[in-house]
Amino acid sequence: MSSLITLGLAGTLVLRFLSSDAIASGGFFASGEFDWFVTGPLDIQFSVGLDGLSIWLFGLTALLTVSAVFVGWNAAEEKAVGFYGLLLLLEAAMLGVFAARDIILFYVFFEFTLVPLFFLIGIWGRDDRRRAAVKFFIYTFAGSVLAFLGLLAIVLWHASHTGVLTFDIATLTAGLASHPLPMTPEWGYLQLWVFGALLVGFAIKVPIVPVHTWLPLVHEQTPACGSVDLAGFLLKIGLYGFLRFSLPMLPEATAIAAPWLVALGAISIIYGALVALVQKDLKRMVAYSSVSHMGFCVMGLFALEPVAVEGANLQLINYGLASAGLFATVGMIYERYHTRKIAELGGIASQMPWLAAFFMLFTFSTIGLPGLNCFVGEFMVLAGTFQRAWSGAPADWSTTYLTLALLAVAGVVLGAWYMLQAVERVLFGPLRGATAGEHGDHARDLAWNEVAALAPLGVFIVWIGIYPSPFLKASAAAVTASTQASSQAFASRVVASRAEATAEHGRSSAPDVDLTLHLGPSRIISTSNHLAP
Amino acid sequence: MSPPLAAVTAATVQGLVPEILLVAAAIAIYLIGAFTSFRSGWLLAFIGVAIPLWLATPEGGDSLTAFGRWMTLAAGMALVLVQGGDVRPASHRRLGTCEEAGTFLILLAGLSLVAVADNLVLLFVGLEMVSIPTYILLGLARTSSRGQEAALKYFFLSLLASAIFLYGMVCLYGIGGDVSLAVIGEKLQSGDVTTERMTLAMLPLAVGMLMVGAAFRMAAVPMHFYAPDVYEGTSTPLAGVLSTLPKLAGVVVLVRLIGLVAEANQPAALAYAGLFWQVAAVLAALTMTIGNLMALVQTNLRRLLACSSIAHAGYLLVGITAAAAGTGSMSEAVTAKVDGADATLYYLATYLLATSGVFAAITYLGHRWPIWTPTTPRPPREEVSTVSDLDGLASTNPVVAFALGVFLLSLAGIPPLPGFWGKLSLVTSLLEVDWGMPVTMAGRRAWLLALAVTLVINAAIAAAYYLRLIAAMYFRPAERGVQADGGLSAGLAMLGCLVVSVMATFSPRMLAFDDESSLSAEAPPAVASTSKADHD
Repeated sequence: MSSLITLGLAGTLVLRFLSSDAIASGGFFASGEFDWFVTGPLDIQFSVGLDGLSIWLFGLTALLTVSAVFVGWNAAEEKAVGFYGLLLLLEAAMLGVFAARDIILFYVFFEFTLVPLFFLIGIWGRDDRRRAAVKFFIYTFAGSVLAFLGLLAIVLWHASHTGVLTFDIATLTAGLASHPLPMTPEWGYLQLWVFGALLVGFAIKVPIVPVHTWLPLVHEQTPACGSVDLAGFLLKIGLYGFLRFSLPMLPEATAIAAPWLVALGAISIIYGALVALVQKDLKRMVAYSSVSHMGFCVMGLFALEPVAVEGANLQLINYGLASAGLFATVGMIYERYHTRKIAELGGIASQMPWLAAFFMLFTFSTIGLPGLNCFVGEFMVLAGTFQRAWSGAPADWSTTYLTLALLAVAGVVLGAWYMLQAVERVLFGPLRGATAGEHGDHARDLAWNEVAALAPLGVFIVWIGIYPSPFLKASAAAVTASTQASSQAFASRVVASRAEATAEHGRSSAPDVDLTLHLGPSRIISTSNHLAP
Repeated sequence: MSPPLAAVTAATVQGLVPEILLVAAAIAIYLIGAFTSFRSGWLLAFIGVAIPLWLATPEGGDSLTAFGRWMTLAAGMALVLVQGGDVRPASHRRLGTCEEAGTFLILLAGLSLVAVADNLVLLFVGLEMVSIPTYILLGLARTSSRGQEAALKYFFLSLLASAIFLYGMVCLYGIGGDVSLAVIGEKLQSGDVTTERMTLAMLPLAVGMLMVGAAFRMAAVPMHFYAPDVYEGTSTPLAGVLSTLPKLAGVVVLVRLIGLVAEANQPAALAYAGLFWQVAAVLAALTMTIGNLMALVQTNLRRLLACSSIAHAGYLLVGITAAAAGTGSMSEAVTAKVDGADATLYYLATYLLATSGVFAAITYLGHRWPIWTPTTPRPPREEVSTVSDLDGLASTNPVVAFALGVFLLSLAGIPPLPGFWGKLSLVTSLLEVDWGMPVTMAGRRAWLLALAVTLVINAAIAAAYYLRLIAAMYFRPAERGVQADGGLSAGLAMLGCLVVSVMATFSPRMLAFDDESSLSAEAPPAVASTSKADHD
């Protein structure tokens, strides 16, 4: 009930945001603050507000918590009070993460999300739940304490160069624009280290391969509504962190790391898809597919091309909706047949047409069917990455970018393969295994609470797919503002690297056209030189 | 320089009111216990602590004194309640209770004296007034062979540590030529050539020995190894005393000693502060890591908490490092500084709060239910002593499980609990030293940064074993359950700590002793000398 009220409030906030002038200015709105930890010089504020970066994630969190509550309607007969209490605590922490305007407040909420989820997994999870809960906690805690050091370093650098010890994110961003963290050898490339510290913390949350190993285990052990929360909005904190801190505050380091992160994104896409392809457990498959899809977001973000970043930002919401839907439906299937093995399921569509219909909708959304939401996001990400490969990559990276973008396309194909293969086996064909047995005879189609959980997701999936522009418009200004610094830094690196490459090229090679055509990078440069004014 | 030892003025007595009251209460309890049949010693002790706590702290002394006294009395209050609910059988309790309560009050008076002390003699007397009552408390529980082993181990090592510390003090006396800390501080900062030569020759010895002596009280490397055995051998409430009060003494002494040089601009002072932070940094890194790694493999509850207390000594030493390094800080850029000493004391407050809470909760849990059928003889009572004894506590004793969960998460430093604010202060103060100077391998920034990284990695390791306890309480089924026979007062102490923890979560500065600088260069406490007045 109270999650519905929260949703109502969040919805009002979102609507008010859309009508306010904060969109155009990219500024904060609906903010409030009071002192919290004011001991001597450390004045940490409880300061919250929403802007274009956080508004949709904020709304998504509120929406998905309602879904999660409906999904888990019958799941927790025992200790139901504790169960819903923890779900709401998790929601509160997540809303806090997205609304925090104070860097320490952000960290407090960021870390605090672990506690309710730890208990949700550990108490209501499956057989191996203790290990999953502890692994989840330690893994992400270890990463985020390093990120914490990075955040503190930012604060202190700002304090020592502007004389103001502040934790306000907007002030810090502005201050670091005029006094960037140093990237010189005598400073030990401080900015790169800070970026690295943040990267560890955020990459584990995303998760990017190779630090993804906690995710499948946790999904496997979590009750369905926990998975809905986890996939729906918890995984978004990592990318939100990149967008909020790394990109605007540490542009030079971002520019250096960007190609590598695009590569990691592509690796995540392919690796996640390949592993998903061989999963025998439906839920594990969806978990690996979320590794794959988060790879898209990482790739788009670090392509540093406006289209791609906006796409990645939208994709966060899109995949949040789709994967939450998938996890919810998988949970419903499990509740009915007590198995999630793909081999033991079949012909569900004939027993439960409505559930099958929703399952199909979410599947089509994740594989990027045009007209549904993920298509928009993936298309923007890919378009941006290709654009980066053709016109804006550093000299020796063009082919790599192109390859990575093509790999991502291959990832889309693989994604369609494993999802449709699973759908074909589980939803259609003859009844077999569990569906043919005793459980199958008693299987009933969606109950009212399940429809209530899935329908809103479906509405938004179709809405964003058909008419994405209000969603994009609301966050465009904020996204541009936060990526501007990094894009510029990247562009200047590109220019520098090309100048270097052309100089070398001019020195070393004879004017042999045939030869240059075979050399990948040089060819790309020559084309792009034609394109460039 | 310092006033003659014999001059006991009205001001002296006034300045020592809390200590005098504590000792008076102790004597009263001893007498009542000896000559009447009244056995509720802890009730009297409660009153004995409550009165000084209720009276405003006397004027005089710097903020370190005030903080030390305040922490002593607050922690003492909690621990009196914890021990009042001791789990030993009633028959045994009747014999020793007044002696124990009185001895504990003397311990508190000694601790308070450490915070007050402005010269080496008083400081040493204070430290011994902490140690000797501890031996007695450990020795009173002499019924089991393990208890005897614990008492003996602690006794011999503590004597050794005291001797080493005394040698360190002698070296300081040699440098300063006086027992007054203020005079020694002045000498160090005077730039006097003779002192300088003397200092540079004596310093390694002095700082090394002082650190080792304090390390024993804090249970830090290299004097940490006694902790698991002693904690395991003694009773839970006494383990609680050992993991809090001596640590308070050690930290206060170190902060006081670092405070000798407020501005390290003379070679002697610079060398003093420099040596201090280097030794502290190495010990901090070792202590944290060893403590946490040892804790990972413990199954006995008290051993685990002993290792955790070692690890926390390491965190506190990080703050000491920052305080010492900050004394000679070359950075002027940061306008508002987080002082290392303030951060250490703040962390100490959060640690004392959570640790007292944990021990109160475990004391309250008391014994497990025996497996016992009418046909078999009744088995001996088993204390709650291993991690698996906590299995399923959330379903059998939800309030205790919740409180323990809060304390453990606070110790692990999960925001927004007080422990997190403590670690935040520590790391900030450490990073702030020389902030604005380039990072080079030769400079100390690199080392301090490495120490900060060590700290956060250790925080992650520590989360593993704290979570193991929480997982046991919340995720496992209850097999036998616990009797929760530890006594009402221990439960009250637990609830008190819980309430304060929750309050400090929302208003973290409550635990901070907000006085601008606890390490001001002004003369330490005006309470002049005389140890005679109070310890007779």
